[in-house]
Amino acid sequence: MLYRRRTIDLPHGKLNTPVFFPVRNIGKRSSDNTPSYVGSIPDLPVAMINTRAIRNRTPMWDRLLNGVTLREEMGVPEDTIVFADSGGFDFSSGEVDTTPKKTLEAQRQLDADIYGTVDVPLSREKRAAENQRRVNQSIEYALEASDQHSGEALLFASVHGYDPETVRNCIAHLEKFGDFDGYALGSMVPIRSDYKKVTKLILSARTATDKHLHVYGLGGLVYQPLLLYLGVDSFDSSAFIRGAGNRNYLIPGFGGEELQDIEQLERLPCPCPVCGTRTLDDIREDRSALVQHNLWALATELRRFQYVAESGRNIEDYLDLRFQGNEVTSRAYQTAKQQVRRLT
Amino acid sequence: MSSNFNITDQQRDYSKYGLSGNPFPYSPVPAENPEIFCGQSHVSEKISSTVSTVLSTGKSKHLVVTGKYGNGKSHTLKYTRSLLRDHDDVIVGYVAQPGEGFLDIYHEFVYDLGFSHLQNLSYEYLASITRECTDESPEGAAEMRSLIDEGDVLLPEIIPEAIRELSDITKFADFARAIVHMIYEDTNLYAWQWLTAEGIRYEQRKEMEIHSALDDDTMGVRAFTALKNMLLDLGYTAVFVFVDEFESIARLSPKYEQATLNSVRHLMDQNSSGLCLLFGCAPEVWQDVMSEYHAFSERIGQEVTLKPLTSDHLYNLIHDYLALERLSAEEETDLRPFTEESLNVILQRSQGNVRQILALCSRLLDDAVDADYDVISTEVVEEAF
Repeated sequence: MLYRRRTIDLPHGKLNTPVFFPVRNIGKRSSDNTPSYVGSIPDLPVAMINTRAIRNRTPMWDRLLNGVTLREEMGVPEDTIVFADSGGFDFSSGEVDTTPKKTLEAQRQLDADIYGTVDVPLSREKRAAENQRRVNQSIEYALEASDQHSGEALLFASVHGYDPETVRNCIAHLEKFGDFDGYALGSMVPIRSDYKKVTKLILSARTATDKHLHVYGLGGLVYQPLLLYLGVDSFDSSAFIRGAGNRNYLIPGFGGEELQDIEQLERLPCPCPVCGTRTLDDIREDRSALVQHNLWALATELRRFQYVAESGRNIEDYLDLRFQGNEVTSRAYQTAKQQVRRLT
Repeated sequence: MSSNFNITDQQRDYSKYGLSGNPFPYSPVPAENPEIFCGQSHVSEKISSTVSTVLSTGKSKHLVVTGKYGNGKSHTLKYTRSLLRDHDDVIVGYVAQPGEGFLDIYHEFVYDLGFSHLQNLSYEYLASITRECTDESPEGAAEMRSLIDEGDVLLPEIIPEAIRELSDITKFADFARAIVHMIYEDTNLYAWQWLTAEGIRYEQRKEMEIHSALDDDTMGVRAFTALKNMLLDLGYTAVFVFVDEFESIARLSPKYEQATLNSVRHLMDQNSSGLCLLFGCAPEVWQDVMSEYHAFSERIGQEVTLKPLTSDHLYNLIHDYLALERLSAEEETDLRPFTEESLNVILQRSQGNVRQILALCSRLLDDAVDADYDVISTEVVEEAF
């Protein structure tokens, strides 16, 4: 079992890992409409933001240049820990419109605790040669960022690859020729339904480095226990917002449930501060409440795993139970288990 | 319990004859790496000449070894293979029989090379690209693998170039992609299956961006030529293909027999350098090929025939086998417990057929130990028949 707990020192405080970074939509079309959770969910004093989106939203960027802090803009305490990725996901289909230097400057201006290097995500449909070019480009950007980085915050190199050799090789290369505090594995979202592939890629990254390992975009209920089992230190997701938009109610241990499928129930099964005292109809009508509940669900999933680990229970037994209901995820977990057992 | 059986793991004691064991095979089939090649100097000279010409000039040359069943064709081919395997600059593959057509010959050849060997060739090719494109200068497969593992060389930097250059060299982009995919743990088994012409599903090909199926003789010839061209580019002198039991093409329908011979002919035509084909074939089938398929037989041109053993050959053969188990070096030229007379009877009865001789000698030696004979005399041999 590769699950591990660590504490990392960051400019805005200490962070206990493993940790989930909720993706904030600040800078995007409707600006930051993420309901408050920092403080009310004590496990999540953190946020993942998109540097490019904020940098490109001129009025907001002007305010930030004129003395308003990012945390004020988001309405969160100043000690909130912020991971600023480059916004590379937006480059999946478009051209890269930044440089490592520009992105680093913006990340500094945002006073982020963790910087993710500029990256060009892979596409499943793209030709292999094109994806090789993109992997190469991301590595060059990361090394350039390493040269420019002055160490005021942690720098995570963004790494891509659809095969274990490339992932291992890229991390080894970055480790040799750059200076990074951790690595962030990207391009997992387009292949997220291929659980076996994703777990193999994560494991190849985990075995390639002992440094902090973040996985971009996979923090949902189903993936979370797998990531923890594979020794991932942090992960992020916006599924709690997107899910709520589709009236999708996350239930730890079960996954998502569409509220339209539930008619007669007066109260939902979750005792979180959002759901504990409200009726199903209240939740159904309040999107913010649903987003907050979904975050509680994700935090609960993480707490549950930590409880199993800390109480000395057998995590593999827990995961056998956790994945028994779904053949696809169960197969992926069994594959991951075989690989992990060879490593421990 | 029945007492008819007496099963024991107790070994026979051959020390009475100055031997530590029975050196003759109980089942006289050719060993994978034979240690002994006895007699038939006209055969060894012809093979040596053919192989040496290919090694020294790099030009292609082919030979057919004929001989009746049991006269040592397979043994001769395997012995030659074991000698060639000592050369670092050649690739040698043994095909036990030609199967249903050229695709089967190609399949068996690649299979005989083996997964690891082919994977190492893939790393060797990447090493050559790395030397061209980077400051690193890996010498071989192991060093290349280490450079990748250690991150000294970036895969996405060299892989596209490797595919491009290998496509140019082989004129077969799918082959180039399959070779490169031999280094990826997710796809190397698919790549291996494609390269061995075993056939893979469309989705598996798609994952490697391979568009064609390697499923007929024409594609087999193309893939073989691509492989040979890659090897020559890597600095190998030649590729040796040993096709045994070539007579089995006679059981194919005339259409398939013709197609197989045509494919081999195309292979020879497309590879005027760096290729040596060595066939083992029963003489009667080779006579038919000679008379009916000139285009094929003329390209081979050379034939050498394994004949039944003479008494001198036989004495040498028995010496060499007994020497394998001799307890004392002084006795190594001895024929004991056989006598020249008894060996002459063996030769007569077996009509000089090596397979029969070895089987008989093996049995006689065990019988002699069991019966506690001092020597294997002509009477003992007569009794055995």
